[in-house]
Amino acid sequence: MKKTVLTLCLVAGVANAMMLNPDMKNYINELKVQASKDDASFKDFDALRGEKIYFTKNAGKDAQILSCQSCHNADLSTNGTNVFTNKTLDPLSPKANASRLTNVKDVKKWLKRNFKDVFLREGTAKEKGDVLYYIMTK
Amino acid sequence: MKFFMILLVSLVSLYAKAPSLKPVDNALYTKECASCHFGYQPGLLPSQSWEYIMGSLENHYGTDASIDESDNKELLAYLVANSSQNAMNYKRSAKITKSLEKGVLYKSLTQIPYLKEKHKDIKPWMIEQKEVGSLARCAACHKGADKAYFKDKDVEIPNYGRWEK
Repeated sequence: MKKTVLTLCLVAGVANAMMLNPDMKNYINELKVQASKDDASFKDFDALRGEKIYFTKNAGKDAQILSCQSCHNADLSTNGTNVFTNKTLDPLSPKANASRLTNVKDVKKWLKRNFKDVFLREGTAKEKGDVLYYIMTK
Repeated sequence: MKFFMILLVSLVSLYAKAPSLKPVDNALYTKECASCHFGYQPGLLPSQSWEYIMGSLENHYGTDASIDESDNKELLAYLVANSSQNAMNYKRSAKITKSLEKGVLYKSLTQIPYLKEKHKDIKPWMIEQKEVGSLARCAACHKGADKAYFKDKDVEIPNYGRWEK
């Protein structure tokens, strides 16, 4: 059963990846190349692993317990709030906010910054790809 | 004579409506800076403060807010061109500039003498409450902050109301 769900998710992830613009597809491929270099057994990104990262709490910026959902919410289709500045954030879900995952420069910038806010380090290529696959399913 | 009266009246009303601070007018600034926090008008800080801020974005009040080099250059040029000492025709910028002590590097808005003086009667609880959280969150109380309106009459403090002196 678990395997079926996983397979379905992977298929859904791939289907979604196909809706990305060429720049974003290239970026995903770059991440895949890097992830394979980091770990020879790497096959593909996984939305389920990404979901786990999204909800993992850590003592991040200013020693505050944070996860991605602290600012972007458990429901990615809703407006979030930057917990440090109270600024309202547009939804992270590409279905709710068509501008998401369209500009590679922005995607790179936010992944770098937000991993550092929550985990106090940059994400690996595998982690970044997993999180992107998770966001694509939302 | 009538013509001059009309001219005079329209000049006076124009002057009265002139903003006391130049509103933000740069799309890159709005995108890169105001996506995380209130879009502080460049005329709120002197050039040296903007140079410090744009030179230390990797640790921007505890967050990595770094951006690529060309965007950084473009933004710094905009911020300096409109910094408090380069916007002396705007009342607030002039007052901010005049309040600065020589040789001091002001690393945040909350250190600016004029702004400290203007907020000295605000009770600590009004700032510490979760709806505000910091003196740097202008828009929490200044309802026209996005349009660069900072008059007392536009102030509404959460759980308190209008600011009456």
